[in-house]
Amino acid sequence: MPRGLWTTTVGSFPKPPHLERARNRFARGEISEAELRQLEREATIEVIRSQEEIGLDILVDGELYRGDMTTYFAELMDGFEISNPVRSYGNRYYRKPVATGRVRRTRPWTVDWWKFAQSQTKKPVKGMLTGPYTMMDWSFNEHYPSREALAMDLAEAIREEAMALAEAGAKFIQVDEPAISVRPEELKLAVKALGRAVEGVKAKTITHICYGDFDVIYPALLDLPVDMIDLEMANSRYDLLDRFRQHRFTKEIGYGVLDVHSHRIETKEEIKQGILRGLELLRPEQMYIDPDCGLKTRTVEEAKEKLAVMVAAVREVREERGITA
Amino acid sequence: MKIETTLSGSFPKLPLEPGAPNVRVIRNRMDQGKATQEELADATRETTKRILALQEGAGVDIPVDGQVAWDDAQTYLARGVPGFTIAGLIRYLDTNTYYRQPEITGPVSWKHPVTAEDFKAAQSMAHRPLKAVLPGPYSLYRFSRDLHYKDVNEGLRAVGEAVSREAKALEDAGALGLDLVEAPESWDLIPEVPAGKTVALGLVDARNTKLEDPARVAEGVRKARSMRSDLSWQLCPTASLEYLPVDRAAMKVARLTEAARLAS
Ligand SMILES: [Zn+2]
Repeated sequence: MPRGLWTTTVGSFPKPPHLERARNRFARGEISEAELRQLEREATIEVIRSQEEIGLDILVDGELYRGDMTTYFAELMDGFEISNPVRSYGNRYYRKPVATGRVRRTRPWTVDWWKFAQSQTKKPVKGMLTGPYTMMDWSFNEHYPSREALAMDLAEAIREEAMALAEAGAKFIQVDEPAISVRPEELKLAVKALGRAVEGVKAKTITHICYGDFDVIYPALLDLPVDMIDLEMANSRYDLLDRFRQHRFTKEIGYGVLDVHSHRIETKEEIKQGILRGLELLRPEQMYIDPDCGLKTRTVEEAKEKLAVMVAAVREVREERGITA
Repeated sequence: MKIETTLSGSFPKLPLEPGAPNVRVIRNRMDQGKATQEELADATRETTKRILALQEGAGVDIPVDGQVAWDDAQTYLARGVPGFTIAGLIRYLDTNTYYRQPEITGPVSWKHPVTAEDFKAAQSMAHRPLKAVLPGPYSLYRFSRDLHYKDVNEGLRAVGEAVSREAKALEDAGALGLDLVEAPESWDLIPEVPAGKTVALGLVDARNTKLEDPARVAEGVRKARSMRSDLSWQLCPTASLEYLPVDRAAMKVARLTEAARLAS
């Protein structure tokens, strides 16, 4: 019997409203760091329970203790300062890292959180990092002579963390590079930097990419030196399959079937159709089924409902096609 | 010879001083039902006034209104022109920044001015003539998704027509310089500019917080002048300063005008 169609998520889960409030209170100095950490740990346990109840195969810690996906890491490193707020879109603002010296990892960033999450479940928990190209592209650079120089020092630092996660026992390590799709002319640099970040890391390596012009970067994307590439399939109505028809997708794929920017809960039938269309071109052993992107912009309830429908759809496809997990 | 300084498009909306009128705070309060449209209009006006004062204080020759009400460089105009609808979030260039993609879903037909009232309001608060800023037809078309026109040239023509009608409306509203010219992206393009044109030299990096040395920027101006004596020049940032933190954006403006003084 073929195996495959394992279910997972892209990384972030929605922060429950009481945790959002606690983060704001912490920022205003109204509660202590220890109090906030305690609430984050409780919420992380809740996210692990919830993923188990839904029946996902590969879990994540939910990143409830992180804010922005670059600033979180930059704050823990040497060589970065954090800017005053910069506009992201509409009324959303974030603080952006500024490289003002040599960037270095001087202590673990996520290993303790990973260990804590893994201690709560028998299912594998993925290690989740932001990639060197994206960290570079989303930071200001006041120190390095070139974009490459900054990206390669970031790659060294991220590799140390990835090694530490693998040593702690992480079987899956995801190093996200959402920025890759925006500047196709720098794909070579991204490949080099990500390659260094995962070099010699003894785990299944994954990268997640989103929002871009895949016409330009596919099939060159397949040069990314990781075992699995995670892509948003659903929100482009599975258009990417046409590219795969012209040029075979040769790696394992994180196959996104839930539109994370929509409140609407997908139907089981449409998810099944999406997976079945994928199975015309991909082997089940190649496919990991997940949402298009992180779930942090949805509510806790929406995220649960979407994932539950996804798991139900995968179960039916497995049954119909005689595929086991 | 003096070189004139100008900015392009939008400017950070947050105040430098804590407690000053703040559109971000008001919009958050509106989302919670705790502030009114009127309070937002007040904060928008105060923010525009502040952005104008900052430029005038630094000695910017041709200031802009800062596009305080705009969500991004494309959608504010597109929302007001029939034929466009506004779709989902798309990541924007080199940062963790998004815009909503305009979609062309029917014939693009300009019906009434979209930006002229805002321009007049800003001009009434300024002490010198402002430059109006619209998206160039090419960038507006490129950032949009054309679901209507079968032919790219036909689509571009329709968008170009709408933008030029809006430009005309701005002219009628009293706008002097209208920034539709896309600045050359590299020195290599300068020899190809037709004689007599005004070229905007983007010598202050709008995408990085690192501050330029005004003396080096002034050198760039002299280099450009030595390449072509038959062109007029303006000095500006490489793009809108909106995606810098407000403190850095203000420092960049000061460096820009300082460089212009050194180059004159
Ligand atoms: Zn994503």
